Amino acid sequence: MKKKGTQITDISVIIAGIAGDGVLFTGNILAKILKRQGWWVSTYRDFPSNIRGEPTNYTIRASLDRVQSRADDIDVFMAFDCGAIIDHADKMAGGGILLCDGVGLSRYTPVQKKKRTYHTFPLRKLARENFKSEIYKNMIALGALAHILDLDFRVIEKLIAEAFLKKKGKEVVERNIRAIRLGCQQAEKIVEPEELYPLVERKDAGRLLLSGNDAIALGVLAGGCRFFAAYPICPATEIWQWLARYFPDYNGLVVQTEDELAALNMALGAAYAGARAMTSTSGPGGSLMMEAFGLAGMTEIPVVVAHVQRVGPSTGMPTKTEQSDLNQWVYGSHGDFPRIVLSPGTIEECFDFTIKAFNLAEKYQCPVVLLTEQDFGQNLFTVKGLDLNKVEIDRGKLLSQEELARMKDYRRYEFTADGISPRALPGMKNGLHMVESNEHDVRGYRDEDPENRGRMMRKRMEKLRSAARDSIPPKVWGEREAKTGIIGFGSTFGPIREALAQLKEEGIRAKYLQMRTLWPFPVKKVEGFISSCDAVYIVENNYSGQLSRLIQSQLRIPARIKMKNILNYSSLAFRPREISTEIQRTL
Amino acid sequence: MKREKDFHLSDPTWCRGCGIYGIFAALKMAAAELDLDPEETVVVTGIGCHGRLNNYFLSYGFHALHGRTLPVASGIKLSNPRLSVLSISGDGDAYSIGVGHFVHALRKNFDITYLVVDNRLFALTQGQTSPTSPLGYVSVSAPFGTKELPLDGPRLALASGGTFIARGFSGQPKKLATLIEKGIKHKGFSFIEVLSPCVTHNKIISAQWFKEHISHLDEDQGYDPRDKKLAWEKMIKEEKIPVGLIYEEERAAYGELVLPERNHPLVDSDLSLDVKRFERILEEYK
Repeated sequence: MKKKGTQITDISVIIAGIAGDGVLFTGNILAKILKRQGWWVSTYRDFPSNIRGEPTNYTIRASLDRVQSRADDIDVFMAFDCGAIIDHADKMAGGGILLCDGVGLSRYTPVQKKKRTYHTFPLRKLARENFKSEIYKNMIALGALAHILDLDFRVIEKLIAEAFLKKKGKEVVERNIRAIRLGCQQAEKIVEPEELYPLVERKDAGRLLLSGNDAIALGVLAGGCRFFAAYPICPATEIWQWLARYFPDYNGLVVQTEDELAALNMALGAAYAGARAMTSTSGPGGSLMMEAFGLAGMTEIPVVVAHVQRVGPSTGMPTKTEQSDLNQWVYGSHGDFPRIVLSPGTIEECFDFTIKAFNLAEKYQCPVVLLTEQDFGQNLFTVKGLDLNKVEIDRGKLLSQEELARMKDYRRYEFTADGISPRALPGMKNGLHMVESNEHDVRGYRDEDPENRGRMMRKRMEKLRSAARDSIPPKVWGEREAKTGIIGFGSTFGPIREALAQLKEEGIRAKYLQMRTLWPFPVKKVEGFISSCDAVYIVENNYSGQLSRLIQSQLRIPARIKMKNILNYSSLAFRPREISTEIQRTL
Repeated sequence: MKREKDFHLSDPTWCRGCGIYGIFAALKMAAAELDLDPEETVVVTGIGCHGRLNNYFLSYGFHALHGRTLPVASGIKLSNPRLSVLSISGDGDAYSIGVGHFVHALRKNFDITYLVVDNRLFALTQGQTSPTSPLGYVSVSAPFGTKELPLDGPRLALASGGTFIARGFSGQPKKLATLIEKGIKHKGFSFIEVLSPCVTHNKIISAQWFKEHISHLDEDQGYDPRDKKLAWEKMIKEEKIPVGLIYEEERAAYGELVLPERNHPLVDSDLSLDVKRFERILEEYK
């Protein structure tokens, strides 16, 4: 909530309408303007899984401090129709301002309700009268927002030119800028000065505005992956679309397969042949991949799966967020086999963990899963930059032709102290071997001898012991001495960090354990954290508390410690207050 | 020059009299004739009796999941086009659980060779009805007779854009070897269905039955495998099962169309990060 007259440090703008209105485009431009004006941006898209006709909204939050969460309240509301007001007006902060293209309303008189100001703002009418096309309503809306937020027109003009000049030409750029100026002037006429939210301008310092999916795709390229096979699915497809654009310049290949069964099997074929290979998917696609996931474990082929979680089960809600596929990737597929499941919590981690995923896959010769969420994958966040100098490629025990040529009796699945066997690739001399989906012997040939079965099972599973030491440890945030703990994974990072700050303001000391590797489970670190607390809250976007169950299956929790789940399976990401209020209420 | 024995890893233990012995022999003949290098050849097999082939045929081998040989084989070939990649399935593998992959491999025209061992039932799991079992066929899974129409692989292949479609008979390994040889040489997806009797579970569709029910396309003077219309007519009208090269056309293989640098396989890529070049990509996000 903002007090007028004081400097604004954090603001949330929602643009709402019907799918097909151009909400996404307008929101993206506004997000970028704010980023370039030096604000830390965090967007939240709430859209239906169809192209036209259902409500959609886009929230752009900007803050002078780094944020990675949707805000608790909305300050500025741009509604393309009255329906949008009914859906979201209750989330408006006191003192907030709303502009609505009241279809059917023609009066300009503002309405005051609960200290909020509602203005009728005829976007479509203005667009039709001035540009003979309703398309321009988006830029008129952007212009009105530019007035309310006191945005820098030089920044806006530059961005519009970047968006349209190459693709549509000078005339379109000029017309869009005229529409923005018109929106700005019209807003000036109706909005009172005390209703404005003028934002200061800060240095942008070359920060980046990235989605989780962008950051993963960048990590895929930087991590040396050159083969990507996938089937289209929300909300993971952006990774593929990004790669389809950049891979050809790097001698990489993207293949659209007939289904997810083919996608992971094809990636496995490519990885077996020696390429760094991956697939990306979500929800039901992950279910179809379970079969080949086990094949990767059995045959010890390094492969990476990026799974961007959506709402399940079944088709669920394809464009909404959830964290209910943890069980699937930690426990999924038939039989026992080693796998590594990583859960990045920030955009930088999406990039870093993707590179790490390929290294872990090759070092431990097993499948590695990057588990993220829709709200993370498809929203934009400001980051300072990506650490490119840290990028390292580690291909583990992959043999060179020279090393292989020197070997007397090469055995692909040789028993070793760490369970990891030297890897030869098809086409190499002196490396002939078999890759077998059945249980097999050291050369890869089918073997049903019970003793061999036992040894092979232990060989595969014991790789996880060294992988556990090499994996990404959980991270503790907040006051280390605090007795109230929060545990979460993935995209709850932003709201939990903010909830910690809210609790601090209320005089409650708390700390947060960010799980970054879900499997192999970091028993000691989690045990240490929990035992240092009196109460532990496990925050998850799912119904059954999948992380909570995982934790309780891995360690014994002393009875003196109060364990509680804070669960949200509404299909929307947590707001920080949902977490902090619940902790305050029950502590 | 290679000889057949250069590809003989060990003596098979399939049922005595199984058609697959003929296929094994034909494969070795073709490999020797083409002078394939076992170290530059990958054979991907599926689940079924044919899946044991990797234990007997010397090359790099991949015994994949049931029905999933084609995605694995095409992934290998796309990453390293220097390799000769063969995929082998049974009729259950190819036409039942893996039929989706089959259709798409045909239309994508991956540069691999696909042998489908058609014995018209599920042999490894004890003789259940398969997609090629004839109508009314009595089996352990259909004791009152199969009610479904059998699937015709070559017809499906022709309809799906196949560029090399052939049918062989395991009882005539030399002819089959010629087809396999042609198939491996073909640039694109070469599909060869091989009629192969199961001596253990199928007492009706025997080697003798096949002999009586096939007709050889190469004995038909007027037949031209480059004529699609003739191929359709032959497959629809013929009372006997046509055997030989059914159809062939030249069309760019998927890899030729999509691989950025065909002479520089993905597996040879330099994976190190060119930071300056990468930073230029990041500009777009500023």
